[in-house]
Amino acid sequence: MAPAVISVSDYLGLVNHALRTIPHEGMVIEGEVVEFKVSQGKWVNFDLKDEKAEAKISCFMTVFALNVPLQSGMRVHVTGTSKVFERFGKFTLNVTAIELVGEGALQKAYLALKEKLRLEGMFEVARKRSIPRFPERIGLITSGEAAAYGDFLRILRNRWSGVTVMHVPVTVQGKDAVQEILGAFAQLNALPIENRPEVIVLTRGGGSLEDLHAFNSEAVVRAVFQSAVPVVVGVGHERDESLCDFVADVRASTPSNAAERVVPDRREIAVSVAMSADRIGDRLQYEIDDRSHAIDRALSIFDRSLARLLQSMNDVTRRFGYAFERFRLSLIATVEHIDRRVQTIDSRMKVVIGERSRSITELERVLKSIDPREVLKRGYALVRSAGKILKSSRDVAPGDRLTIQLGEGEIRAQVEMSAVQESLL
Amino acid sequence: MSKKISFADAFQELESITEWFETQNVDLDEGVKKFERGLELAKMLKEKLADVENTVVTLKKKFADLDGSLNQGEAD
Repeated sequence: MAPAVISVSDYLGLVNHALRTIPHEGMVIEGEVVEFKVSQGKWVNFDLKDEKAEAKISCFMTVFALNVPLQSGMRVHVTGTSKVFERFGKFTLNVTAIELVGEGALQKAYLALKEKLRLEGMFEVARKRSIPRFPERIGLITSGEAAAYGDFLRILRNRWSGVTVMHVPVTVQGKDAVQEILGAFAQLNALPIENRPEVIVLTRGGGSLEDLHAFNSEAVVRAVFQSAVPVVVGVGHERDESLCDFVADVRASTPSNAAERVVPDRREIAVSVAMSADRIGDRLQYEIDDRSHAIDRALSIFDRSLARLLQSMNDVTRRFGYAFERFRLSLIATVEHIDRRVQTIDSRMKVVIGERSRSITELERVLKSIDPREVLKRGYALVRSAGKILKSSRDVAPGDRLTIQLGEGEIRAQVEMSAVQESLL
Repeated sequence: MSKKISFADAFQELESITEWFETQNVDLDEGVKKFERGLELAKMLKEKLADVENTVVTLKKKFADLDGSLNQGEAD
């Protein structure tokens, strides 16, 4: 029997038909990505190769289906359907889903995404918002069964009260985690403003990089970034980090620490309130004391002024007293002086009067001594001719009548002759 | 002022009164008023601090309940 002759394309049709019988659900192909490249921004090509055997499969997918930051060298689990393209005669796996496996691959993907988001500015400190100091409504996104939930609420209650915690239960790992967390963010952000929490806490316990997958998912990181409500992220233990930590407005190290970051400690606030009350009391007391001292000072200044006034009045009075006394004394002195002067004058007058009276007596005596009558008594005579006292014999001629006055009585006589003598005696 | 003042508002008012006392030339009449208000706030805040309860409400999961109505869960 002659063999059937079919065309190449018909044969490839048979091959592809056979290939479609290979189940593609319930099975993933594990391999290492090599020759990874993206063309025209749309088409992704890489080879999937075994680590041990020399075996590889050409893989193809679109960038839209690629939800992990793929790089050459990563270990992946791939799901897809295989086909031989007629035109190229090339066996190709059409990839429908791909996920990274192994710490190495996840670590690489993690770092690549971190760098990408960093370059977008999503981790900038400047964009981080502060959370209210005393929140009244706190959104809590975590699993209701996990220790994180209990830890958070316990520390919250220890520190603070009067808070309404709006818990949105989500699974924090596994395939639904990302969708549930995104839903929770959307739900809390969509609440009317008066019911909306003032801060959202996204938290879970620690885990491996695979466990923390949801907290490293680009979509969750963007949801944290875009949340209208500030977000506190507390993941795992002290050393765990996730990309949500970097994008969070406040990064807490653990669920307990998230509670510490989100509410104050009532003891500290109580101390602060007491101190405030004390301080304003002290300050007011200080001000009152200050005023009271000012009044005291004013009063004492007033007192001193008054004292000075009294003092100066006393001074004036005293000085007036002194001046008056001096005046009185000088008046007395003047009176005494006048008295003395009067006495002096008096005594002088007496002396002068005495002297004068002695002079007068002397004069009297002198006068008496020169009284012509006294001379006459001693034997002298006054000769008058025609009433005039004769002093020379030439003033008379013979026959002239003369009156001769003696000490006692007078004689009337007549001149006989006259002669001139040079000298009488 | 209303009794319904929030802790945050009361605390902030107390802080601003404290600051007023520390930065102003205190006018006594004003100071006495503020002092009384400060004591009132401090008392109110202390009373609020004495409250030890938080309330936990669990929101209905998923996107069915975006109208803001809350499911009252167990109190913590």
